[in-house]
Amino acid sequence: MKRKLLPVIFFFASFSLSFGQEGLLPFQDSAALIQELKLQEDIPSFTYRFFIPKANINSKITADSSFLWVETDTAFISKSFKNGTLIDSLYGQLQGNSANLLFFVYEEKTNVEGLQSYLETMYATGDFVLAEDKEQPENDIMLLASSNNYQPLDAYKNRLLGDFKLLAVTLIILFFIFTAASMIIFMLIFKTQRNQREENIKNYENEIIGPLTNLLFEKDLDEISQMSDQEISEIFPRSLFKKRLFKQVLIERIIGLNKKMKGEFKDKLKTLYKRLGLVDLTKANLKDSRWDIIASGLVQVNEMDLSELINEVKSFTNSKNFHVRSLAGATLLNLSEKVDLSFLKDQDYPLSDWQQMNYLRIIKFVGSSKFLNIPILFKSKNPSVREFAIKMVRMLGRVDLIAELHMINEASTEEEKIELIKTYDALGAHMEVEFINNCMLSNNPDLKKIAVKAAGNLGNSYSEVILMDILLQNIDFRLRRACLTSLNKLNAQTFEKFVATQPLPENKALKAQIQDPLLSNV
Amino acid sequence: MYNFLFYFLIELIGLFYLILSFSVIVIYFIIMILSALEMRDYRRKNRFADYEDIITSPIAPGVSILAPAYNEGSNIVQNVKSLLSLHYGKFEVIIINDGSKDDTLTKLLDAFELQKVSYAYNPEIITQEVKGVYKSQNKSYRRLTVIDKENGGKADALNAGINISQMEILACIDVDCILANDSLTRMVRPFMEETNRKVIAVGGAIGIANNCDVQDGAVTKYRVPQSTLGQFQVIEYCRAFLMGRMAWTRINGLMLISGAFGFFRRDLVLNVGGYFPKTVGEDMELVVRMRRYMEEKKIPYKVSFIPDPLCWTEVPEDVEVLGRQRNRWMRGTIETLQLHRKIGLNPKFGILGTISYPFWSVFEKMAPIIEIFGLIYTLILLIIGDFSAIYFVALLFMIYLLSLLVSSFSILYEQISYNNYKNKSDLKKLIWIILIEPLYIHPKVLLWGLKGHLDFIIGKGGWGQMIRTGFKTAEERKTIEAQAEKSL
Repeated sequence: MKRKLLPVIFFFASFSLSFGQEGLLPFQDSAALIQELKLQEDIPSFTYRFFIPKANINSKITADSSFLWVETDTAFISKSFKNGTLIDSLYGQLQGNSANLLFFVYEEKTNVEGLQSYLETMYATGDFVLAEDKEQPENDIMLLASSNNYQPLDAYKNRLLGDFKLLAVTLIILFFIFTAASMIIFMLIFKTQRNQREENIKNYENEIIGPLTNLLFEKDLDEISQMSDQEISEIFPRSLFKKRLFKQVLIERIIGLNKKMKGEFKDKLKTLYKRLGLVDLTKANLKDSRWDIIASGLVQVNEMDLSELINEVKSFTNSKNFHVRSLAGATLLNLSEKVDLSFLKDQDYPLSDWQQMNYLRIIKFVGSSKFLNIPILFKSKNPSVREFAIKMVRMLGRVDLIAELHMINEASTEEEKIELIKTYDALGAHMEVEFINNCMLSNNPDLKKIAVKAAGNLGNSYSEVILMDILLQNIDFRLRRACLTSLNKLNAQTFEKFVATQPLPENKALKAQIQDPLLSNV
Repeated sequence: MYNFLFYFLIELIGLFYLILSFSVIVIYFIIMILSALEMRDYRRKNRFADYEDIITSPIAPGVSILAPAYNEGSNIVQNVKSLLSLHYGKFEVIIINDGSKDDTLTKLLDAFELQKVSYAYNPEIITQEVKGVYKSQNKSYRRLTVIDKENGGKADALNAGINISQMEILACIDVDCILANDSLTRMVRPFMEETNRKVIAVGGAIGIANNCDVQDGAVTKYRVPQSTLGQFQVIEYCRAFLMGRMAWTRINGLMLISGAFGFFRRDLVLNVGGYFPKTVGEDMELVVRMRRYMEEKKIPYKVSFIPDPLCWTEVPEDVEVLGRQRNRWMRGTIETLQLHRKIGLNPKFGILGTISYPFWSVFEKMAPIIEIFGLIYTLILLIIGDFSAIYFVALLFMIYLLSLLVSSFSILYEQISYNNYKNKSDLKKLIWIILIEPLYIHPKVLLWGLKGHLDFIIGKGGWGQMIRTGFKTAEERKTIEAQAEKSL
């Protein structure tokens, strides 16, 4: 099929290319053409054969294997030859026989005119070069090129691929559409799943609330404890109870009720939690790789008092994740028989204010009923833990630990000293006045300011001297205000006398402020 | 030769816009992904937070709420009562009457039984003259302090408030904002959580209160505004707060905390010299300066953002007022970037210098210029006959689609996270605005931005020579300003 198409293509190509280009080759007649052929080694798609009528042939010639003669009704035809320069030598071998040449283009026989037309086409496209032109020096190549018919390259290019900007825009649009479509699909899937989940949660809550309420109000704690597995499994529809989401909703509902209820109801909920086998889900949560699921597990352990999982909880007290280690700490504080602070002592990460707030709330809650060993935290290697321990003494009003605090006065860092002074001030520890006086002489402005404030409540006559010394220096306004306030608290007469002898405008202004009853808290 | 250069230039500009278009697409995709991740993490964290603790805990930091008031006589009493009723243990409310010409001060004095006190005002940050400090005789209002001062602008008023504030955290708000009852507890949380780096500021999302039902200082029913411009701002706020700022928070690159609702660490604000009163973008400028200070001191820090809608405000629905606001925002941006141009592309300033600053310079400050220049470029192409309709339509269509995508996602975020606009007709209105915004509203925003550039160039808005030089270091601002005041 392809072969049959070639002559057709050749025809159209030669027609279109040769249109208006007649007489390109300088052949006056067929002899000149054959003369040119004799100079060409290879012309694309061109071959020639020899033809001898039967009447003129002799047996020697036919026996010559180099021609591979094929016999027809009237003549013998040789095999195809491509190299034109061999024509004369081949003719020489056929001497005495009236041999003729046959021309073939694309293996189709053609006459001299056909061959000339083909060669002209080839010449126009640059695929055929005259022998004499081949021999010309290279610098004539420009002349050769100029003889070519110019066709702009763009004409053959694809419009899109040809314009690089348009190509870039196309690629950008494709990238955009692909990414946008992916994101839209993702968001739609996400929203659908979320809606479905919310719908399920709503349905499950409806399924849960009835049986749960009945159980809590109709059965007492012993009855729930003594329920058989069969009875337990019949509380909720079995098909639903197999689903993880249903169990999660159930857990959340139980925990929610546990937070709101008191007394025996709490115990009932905790018993039910265990009887329903929800502890397994909690265990699975604690083993999960996602921090928020582990945190959910910790909340469940904490709320449901699952003390059997205390070892798993301990493993999270030094977790890299802030929320996990925070919740693990809170859970340990809640569940330990004594308020075990050893996990805090060994904490590697600094304690944030958020953690301290949570721990303090729990410690305040459980501290009254359990033993609380705060002093072990004074020896922690973690400075934030030591500071928290000092704060706890203050916030829990542990006057009994002042002696313990006194022992760390000198070894403490400046941040700890600030907390120590705040604590002595809050607990009214007058015996620590020497420490406070020393801190008033510190170069750390924050420590100095806190000590000055504390001196107002706990100071002695030496504190007055120090305060006046500081006031005589060039100090910032806030420290001056703190000094004058403390001096006024310690000894109103000394204060009046000092301001009178040092009538700086700021001293006068501060005196007015200190004595204004509406500004007593400022 | 000139002909060649002209066409070469045309080709170069074409290439520039091509790269820019691609960058815009890539950047917005990244912003969408980062904000989604940050929102997911924020919601996960929120599941385990008990905000009730903060209200009573002695460990929680104290908060000084600073609210400048200028000619707010009509609503000031109700607004202050709303602020005083916030659920938090340790806070004070400081109202700064910034030389109001109406009855703002009289109303405050009467409603809260205020009396002038002998407060020894010390201008740690230099401000206009303070005429008086007032405290209430009624113990119910013991948290309230009112400062009466000469008019000096919002930044100056806030600086006066900072000077007398007592607490660790400063909450700088607009007095007409409606704050949710739990707004302080939620905003304070990031300050308490971080351990390995210092949280220097926390920004909050702002909701649009136009057309909403407000009862006792709280929004009870959410509706989108009735006007097209109001509805447009709902979408714009969702894009800015739920998408943009969440994404920047993810990489700790946030450069702007809204002046209507921002929380700052007081000691640091004092260290950097407070608000800069000579710029109209004082909110952005303060954040950039604080960040710069931390970078210069090499102290690890973070600027956080809370996406919960805790603060509600009325937005302008009038074209002129909105135009003025956008003009001011643009000038504020230009001024801030100009002041701190030293940090641009400077790796010494980390994310701030290498990502945030260049982004703001190209996609915020220069956006109107680039867009208008693009329009001129298209006209030139039309005139010289080198205009490719396919190319033009393809780019235009792509950017239009991008706008739809980004806006739709921001609304989707709101729906997934908060779902305040439950009414379907509200959603339909928002979708309609998303469709027409690029064609109808965006050209206006573009013109307002250009006007901002023009006003900046001609010096409208009190732009002084001093600002043009920029600060050498964040700390030096204090000294420079003090010297300037003396020379005046």
